[in-house]
Amino acid sequence: MNMDRRSVLGLGGVVAASAMIAPGIHLIAAPERTEASGQSRWAMLVDVNKCDSDCTACTTACRQENNVPTFDDPQRDIHWIRKVELKDKKGKRPSVSLPVLCNHCEHPPCVDVCPTEASFIRKDGIVLVDKHRCIGCRYCMIACPYKARSLVYHATELSENGNADVPIRGKGVVEKCTFCVHLVDQGKKPACVDACQKDGNGAMIFGDLNDGQSEISKRVHEIRTQTMRADLGLNPAVHYQGL
Amino acid sequence: MAWIRFLGALLAVFMTIAPLVSNADAHGDAKHDRGTIGEKCIKDTDWMRRNHMNMLMEKRHVTVREGVRVPAESLLNCKTCHTSREKFCDKCHSYVGVQPDCFECHNYPK
Repeated sequence: MNMDRRSVLGLGGVVAASAMIAPGIHLIAAPERTEASGQSRWAMLVDVNKCDSDCTACTTACRQENNVPTFDDPQRDIHWIRKVELKDKKGKRPSVSLPVLCNHCEHPPCVDVCPTEASFIRKDGIVLVDKHRCIGCRYCMIACPYKARSLVYHATELSENGNADVPIRGKGVVEKCTFCVHLVDQGKKPACVDACQKDGNGAMIFGDLNDGQSEISKRVHEIRTQTMRADLGLNPAVHYQGL
Repeated sequence: MAWIRFLGALLAVFMTIAPLVSNADAHGDAKHDRGTIGEKCIKDTDWMRRNHMNMLMEKRHVTVREGVRVPAESLLNCKTCHTSREKFCDKCHSYVGVQPDCFECHNYPK
């Protein structure tokens, strides 16, 4: 078939236009099967200097995304991520505000103590609780140096504007931050990071530490970052800058 | 003796038909509205009837612990075809007296 220059360009235009006006047609199909990869090491970096003490974008987004309920009793409230104010006892340095969440340690003490193997570490370094197996003994809550875990003291219900894609949880299981594993498996960012970049001050970034091209891997290698309680040798995946 | 032979033939015919009829009663989808749309499930119907509980347990394990996600076979996807939990799941489960607690946490509207 012979086509002159004009018809080739015209055909190209038609293809481009149809791709734009038909968003229902996917040129690249969604993957049929995905699996956690041992090549990845998911991690988070929080720039403490950018984190504002009045901002609660991350905690609000987390509650919304993961259907984390609020109870009246603050002692028994569930928090996957919480804002903490750090004060210098001598008053020489200004106080800083930062989010604290599960640190997804490389050597997680919560997994070591779990009697039912409900707490486990996934191949890509995300520490999770298999709530089907959890018996609510709370050993892990005591073992965790970051107080990242909460017990569900009361039965909960999915609220009207809740996220139906994420299950609620039964009474009497322990739960914690999952790095929004359901989103990470889809190639998205955790809800807190997304909210921090959109509504907050862009203090949090998320990515694969083993990927040399990722922003987090570059920054962790170039800038001086710290992890919490590094002395414990747990090698957490949540890094802080400017602590 | 012709009437005995006739009775025997009738009995034989009845015994051949009876299981078919009762089978149609128990499993015939035409009589029972299960609130299901679509042609077939991810595996064939007889296999699913017998093995869905083991399959769900296996899928639960590999999804939670190994991160294997197959969107087309996800529990979230069941409700697109099995539109009524009451007619599809609960009816049978209450008949055989089992109480799976999947949907105390996972969302599957009644």
